[in-house]
Amino acid sequence: MSATPVLSPHGDDHAHHDAHYAPGFFGKYVWTHDHKMIGLQYLFASMFFGAISGLLAMGVRWQLGFPGKPFPIIGKFLPHNIVGPDGAFLPGGYNMLVTMHASIMVFFVIMPLLIGVFGNFLIPLKIGAGDMAFPFFNELSFWLFMLSGVIVVSGFWSGEVTGAWHHLTGSSLPPDTGGAAAGGWTSYAPLSSDPAYNTTHYGQSAWAIGLFVNGLASIAGAFNYITTIVNMRCPGMTMFRLPLAVWSLFVTAILLLLAVPVLSAAAAMLWLDLNMGTTFFSGRNGAGGDPLLYQHLFWFFGHPEVYIMILPAMGLVSEIMPVFTRKPIFGYRAMAFSMIAIGFLGFIVWGHHMFVSGMNLVASAVFSFSTMVIAVPSAIKTFNWMGTIWKGSIRFTVPMCFCLAFVSMFVIGGLSGIFMASTPVDLFIHHTYFIVAHFHYVLFGGSLFALQAAVYFWFPKMFGRMMNDKLGYWNFWLMFVFFNLTFFPMHTMGLAGMMRRIADPTQYEHLRNLQPLQKFISVRAFGLGASFLVFWYNFFWSMKYGEKASSNPWRSTTLEWTLPSPVTLHGNFPVTPRVYHGPYEYSIPGMEDDYLPQNVPMRDVKRTAGVEIPAH
Amino acid sequence: MSNIAAPRQVFQPGFRSVMTTPPPRFLARFCPSRRLFSLALAFVALFASPAGTAHAELRDYNMWWTPKAVTTGGHEIDLLLMVIFWLTLFVFIVTQVTYIIFIVKYRQRKGVKAVYSHGNNKLELIWTATPAAIFIILALWSDREWLQLRGKAPDNALSIDIVAYQFGFHVRNPGKDDHLGNYDQLWIEKGTNDFGVDLKDPTSRDDYASENQLTLPVNRPVNIILRSEDVIHAFYVPEFRMYQDILPGRKIDWVWFTPEKIGHYALACNQLCGNGHYNMQAKIDVVSEDDYKKLVAEKSANAEKARAEQDKAPAATPAPVAAVDVPAASPSPSPSPTVAPVVAALGR
Repeated sequence: MSATPVLSPHGDDHAHHDAHYAPGFFGKYVWTHDHKMIGLQYLFASMFFGAISGLLAMGVRWQLGFPGKPFPIIGKFLPHNIVGPDGAFLPGGYNMLVTMHASIMVFFVIMPLLIGVFGNFLIPLKIGAGDMAFPFFNELSFWLFMLSGVIVVSGFWSGEVTGAWHHLTGSSLPPDTGGAAAGGWTSYAPLSSDPAYNTTHYGQSAWAIGLFVNGLASIAGAFNYITTIVNMRCPGMTMFRLPLAVWSLFVTAILLLLAVPVLSAAAAMLWLDLNMGTTFFSGRNGAGGDPLLYQHLFWFFGHPEVYIMILPAMGLVSEIMPVFTRKPIFGYRAMAFSMIAIGFLGFIVWGHHMFVSGMNLVASAVFSFSTMVIAVPSAIKTFNWMGTIWKGSIRFTVPMCFCLAFVSMFVIGGLSGIFMASTPVDLFIHHTYFIVAHFHYVLFGGSLFALQAAVYFWFPKMFGRMMNDKLGYWNFWLMFVFFNLTFFPMHTMGLAGMMRRIADPTQYEHLRNLQPLQKFISVRAFGLGASFLVFWYNFFWSMKYGEKASSNPWRSTTLEWTLPSPVTLHGNFPVTPRVYHGPYEYSIPGMEDDYLPQNVPMRDVKRTAGVEIPAH
Repeated sequence: MSNIAAPRQVFQPGFRSVMTTPPPRFLARFCPSRRLFSLALAFVALFASPAGTAHAELRDYNMWWTPKAVTTGGHEIDLLLMVIFWLTLFVFIVTQVTYIIFIVKYRQRKGVKAVYSHGNNKLELIWTATPAAIFIILALWSDREWLQLRGKAPDNALSIDIVAYQFGFHVRNPGKDDHLGNYDQLWIEKGTNDFGVDLKDPTSRDDYASENQLTLPVNRPVNIILRSEDVIHAFYVPEFRMYQDILPGRKIDWVWFTPEKIGHYALACNQLCGNGHYNMQAKIDVVSEDDYKKLVAEKSANAEKARAEQDKAPAATPAPVAAVDVPAASPSPSPSPTVAPVVAALGR
């Protein structure tokens, strides 16, 4: 054991040193190089952004369910470019709500939760490394992310800020009505890029700058993850012994590295169009730009982005399911290869967002074909999860409940995607509430449910305490029921012709008929919002008062569970571990315990029957 | 030699864990107390009940499904929609029922160990090939329909010219000669020549324009030509099963359909286009052939009269743009944006 080479930068020699190293508050919580603390920084930051974004969603639902009625309680206190004097939302304000809800959810909640939190926290622990390959870039990435979030959100006060600037300096900056970006999270040019049409000039500029900075953070994170996974696996940890969560984050990091620069370019060009008089995306005669160029750039990023937001969730679920079925994951290699396939195909399907954009019709047909093909690896994964619970021994813990719900919701989201992959059907349901239902099933029922599972599952490793079970079940059932009541009716509403991003559906005769359903959905959406309060309460309560956790409360096999809870040592492993087999060795016949940790060699285990375990 | 050599000391049993305790009653597995469960059930029943819809005065409108398709292409789309619907419903039911059976059947039970299995390559092959085959068939069928729906309009199609702007639709109908006068994007001048019509073209004299109003004859193919003045808008009519983005700087001429039912419909912009987007709509009236002929006769007579009056007062006429073949020579109507349009935009 002692002869194993030390791969971590904080290996044996430093471990001893680190144990005595006591950084101050700043060095421990603000500018730390410890990947675990950076993961927690991401966790708290994205919970904060999630609260903002969730409130925006409540505003959206209020306006759709009760158009023109003052937003209760806080309506009167909102800026006057969002609400009128009576506290009811203005159409422009509503556009800001939908834009910012989606932008924040995508870039500052789901992505950092999946990649920032669990990428940072789990990768080194699971591969037996002391830290990330580039701890400095890791921390830099977090603060760039924070900065970008603040820039994007600050758009809400851009009117006030520029007004004050104008007042103080007497500068000739054009005054602005202010408010955050309001062109949808996709910010299609030229509405977003042409100052003549954009009514929220500064908010939109902040959006573009924020996304650019966020891109830097993502790239810094991505190359860090790739380097870490390729170079810093502990001895014995071959690629096909990697836990699937690490596989998923590996593929995700590659997608990030290839896709995000394209978004950065698009955001930079948008900003130049808006502020410097360039015409990259202008549709004006003689300007030489093309609005479709923006869409191609955006969706060339945007589609891999969709998989960036679901692949890690799939990985986390694949990680948790075997633990609570006490059974190896079904088809490990099929799982890994289907993720690689998704990663590859994810780059050639972006055109399916643009079937009806005015793009070449034959191109639409081709993209339709590739989109149908990309559904196959997702189907494979679903069947493999079902294979995993087949003849298992299922423990219905809170994380497992969320995982089971994830698979079910992901099936619904996947099946509704087939409608839109078919070009002629998309001709009808494009940009309706059908697609809103679809992506909420994938992003909320999919990614967010997986994240809930992951938080409940790794909470003991993060804070050394268990989350409360009773509150956890309340959290699960409320969220599961309200989620479905909120988003399932949106399918039929879309089929009935309800459009996306309409501030006041009662303007249309045929949508007025849907108003009872709108109210129904809105009330349930408030219930869904309230179910997050249970989660928050449970989270913070358990941090302080939760039951103390043992090092391996779930009796799991991967390396992080060989360490104490919480993992206190910067450098993680006092001795670099060695790995002997794959990550999901549960219920091996003839063994007394029903799990075999990755770092325990088979020869050390007493067994009554001999069964070969795959060497991978 | 102990059971597990080295890491024994770190496996503290600790947490009163579902992992080690014997299996509880079925209900109690995912709900810690019966009271909690019944409370939750009551809560769910309260919210799941269609209380919000109770007072709905549901006329003949079905808010749970699509509006009736009223175009020929629409029926083909509906067929595909229904096939996908029943297919996905079937898969949905099969997978979810299997899943629930698995969840119930393979719950933790005393003395029953999970089966040690790493998978089955034959099964993997089956569930890779089956969806792949289904998806490829769907894709081929979709693409065929798509290229037909979006193919060239029939020769007898009625061409209608729409120019979208923030926030409305200019509509230009061919007059009694059934032919739209020559037009080009480059000749558009806001307010004076919204469609960019070649005023010298004699066939343009009887064309008549309307605002946010589209009148179509029944049972005749209609070819809609879509252009935009400013930002991206969309042409969206759910009853026609038709959505198309309208791009500035580009002419989209492949939208065509045959309305086959007389009635009133709404044309909606369905691409976020600014603060007035929520109410950017136009009326669509599908009328009988006779009514349409009457309307055209009246409107194009008016249009011709107006044009004749314009000719008499040449000073008021905007100079017709002639040279268009050389793009460099054509005057660019809009300079690149500077601070000036920003200030101008404040008026919006």
